[in-house]
Amino acid sequence: MELTPDGFLVEEGLDQRYDILKELGDCHTALAHYDRARQCYEEASLLAQDRPGPHVGCGVVALQTGALDEAERAFGRAIRLDGRCPEAYAGLGMVDQQRQDFARAFDHYMMALDRDVNNLVALLGLFQASIQMGTFAKVTHYLEVYLERHPGDVSVLFCLATLYARDNRLDLARKTLDVLLVLDPANAEAAALLKEVEQKQQKITSEANAR
Amino acid sequence: MLTIDTTEKRGPLVSVLVPTFNRRRYLREALESVVGQTYRQFEAFVVNDGGEPVADLVAAFNDPRLVLIDRRENRGKAASLNEALGRAQGKYVAYLDDDDRYYPEHLARLVETLEGRDDCHAAYTDLYKVHCRVLPDGTRQVLGKVVNISRDFDRFLLCHFNHVLHVALMHRRDLFEKTGPYNEGLRVMIDWDMTRRLSFFTDLLHIPQVTGEFFGPVGECDRISYRMRKNKLDYARQVLMIRATRPAKPWPKMPDLSIVFAPDVLDAAAAGMIRQIGAWTFMPCQLYLVLPPAEIARADPTLPNQVIVPVTPGATPAARLDAALRRVEGDYVAVVSPGARVETLWVEDPLYAAAHDATGKVAFEIAGSAGGDWPAVVLRTDGLRRARARDSGPSLRLSLEAAGIAVRPPSEAERAFPFDRLLQNAEEMESDGDWAQAAWLYKQMGERFNNSRWMHERTVRALLKAGGRDGEALAVCREINLTTPTVSTLLLEARLLKRANQPGPAVALLEEADAILEGRGEPWN
Repeated sequence: MELTPDGFLVEEGLDQRYDILKELGDCHTALAHYDRARQCYEEASLLAQDRPGPHVGCGVVALQTGALDEAERAFGRAIRLDGRCPEAYAGLGMVDQQRQDFARAFDHYMMALDRDVNNLVALLGLFQASIQMGTFAKVTHYLEVYLERHPGDVSVLFCLATLYARDNRLDLARKTLDVLLVLDPANAEAAALLKEVEQKQQKITSEANAR
Repeated sequence: MLTIDTTEKRGPLVSVLVPTFNRRRYLREALESVVGQTYRQFEAFVVNDGGEPVADLVAAFNDPRLVLIDRRENRGKAASLNEALGRAQGKYVAYLDDDDRYYPEHLARLVETLEGRDDCHAAYTDLYKVHCRVLPDGTRQVLGKVVNISRDFDRFLLCHFNHVLHVALMHRRDLFEKTGPYNEGLRVMIDWDMTRRLSFFTDLLHIPQVTGEFFGPVGECDRISYRMRKNKLDYARQVLMIRATRPAKPWPKMPDLSIVFAPDVLDAAAAGMIRQIGAWTFMPCQLYLVLPPAEIARADPTLPNQVIVPVTPGATPAARLDAALRRVEGDYVAVVSPGARVETLWVEDPLYAAAHDATGKVAFEIAGSAGGDWPAVVLRTDGLRRARARDSGPSLRLSLEAAGIAVRPPSEAERAFPFDRLLQNAEEMESDGDWAQAAWLYKQMGERFNNSRWMHERTVRALLKAGGRDGEALAVCREINLTTPTVSTLLLEARLLKRANQPGPAVALLEEADAILEGRGEPWN
């Protein structure tokens, strides 16, 4: 027995068939077996018609196959079923990003993160959209919040270090990269960025000394 | 372990009892599962309890091992079982409800286990509870299969709560000579009543493997026992009736408790306490009510297991105790004084402590004991008798101390249900979001107590929620799935593999789980 957020007792196992189909859909998507994945999601949605998960899954499959309109419709269906579904908003952000509509993508990623600060897809999407748009303040905040909860996430550490470096917050960039390289000493991209940051710092120091 | 030849007509005969009432639709599948057993030495009695005809359905199997007992009158499940038992010839008895089913190895596993043990005459396996939706045409759409009870045998627990599913049980048929037949006066929990009575005479060995399934339709349930339980007052009466059942002695496995209560007068407070004792005590007991003649007429003669011990008017507490001690039959005695707190586990905690105390040199105090010369205690009857024989003075405490028997409450570690109390602690940790600590406790419990498979599964779930411990969770889960996989544990391992970016192996496990749900593949086969 488990408690729902509303405090109702739910007997374990009532959703097993749904869970298996949904997980199978996710795994087949990861293996690029898109037809099989779609089939699993469709069966899952028949079993639990009020749940957004299978529609998000169908959206991801459509996204992977370049069917952006279909993906948008699937994510939209998920949001109609559950307006709190962060994955569906993140999916819409990815659709927008593929359409090069970075402002709209930024908004959708923000909506996803407003609902779940731990949504990594939205976080990394927001980072990429920010790079395109040249606005870093909001994404920096979300990356910092995420890292408070997941301090060992190397990919997010790298994004944050990149943003600090672009923002000329070189000390913070260096400290972040130092942490990253302790966690992942073989990370060549981080090592290269650290070198770049240190060169920048040296340049600033020598310019200041020259003055 | 002894290996039973399941293909030849060798090995002991098993009598399978299949009571049925108006479930023709599901009975065929149930009987197919019996006929499909790899263990072939069985006779199966299908008892139609006055329901719709099933003779054609049984005959269609054309199997001489299936015997139909066709009754016109509906007399209930207990009567059906007793009628089948009257004709059973097997060394062992097994059970199947008309809407449940065995997996092919069910009988073989149980026979193999019981034939290999001289010290244990009953064994049980685990079963899947199949959550299903009953469609308008009556077919059952399976939504999930979970093992929702997988408890190792615990005699104290069984007296309180039935953790042995009857369909999972097999036991020696000759145990009925000791337990007596099924109680036809009961309308619910007939199974628990019998399993509880079996535990007076044998341990029950738990085989933590799924060997069958029973169905639990979502929403309204068509089970007769489920409908009966809706009448709460009647249900409570039936529970009390079961608890009051005392099969004929000797009881080689069950501690018998004699509760001695000697009020000055049988007033409303004393009568209330007697009712409380009846309502809260779940271990087998008899109440020895020590009363002067003038009070005896006020005692309620309808209360079960009550022995009136007459004493002379004005008898001292010591004289009353000694009068009761001459009569008590229990292995353990509880001396209770007016005002003692009768509540959950009031006497079971000190009884458990006394039953597990190898020294016999402790009288365990009941919570709320007034202390002083007359503490409320539970101890071995022979110890108390020896103490009173040495010193029959006016103080119980002094008699006990003179006999070298210490008076103290049971420690936390000595109280009843140590496993369940730890389990409660771990669940509270989960409620507080302390998943890592809960995982640690589940792991310790799995290693130090019984129920290891169940606790290992709990460990995996807690580790999964703790975050950052996926490697450890995966190792534990893999170990479970190598020996005793279930749909739940296969799903858990698949989720862990997916998170570890290994979707290929995850798909294989998910397909295995799906096959079990579909009935295409069963664990251990």
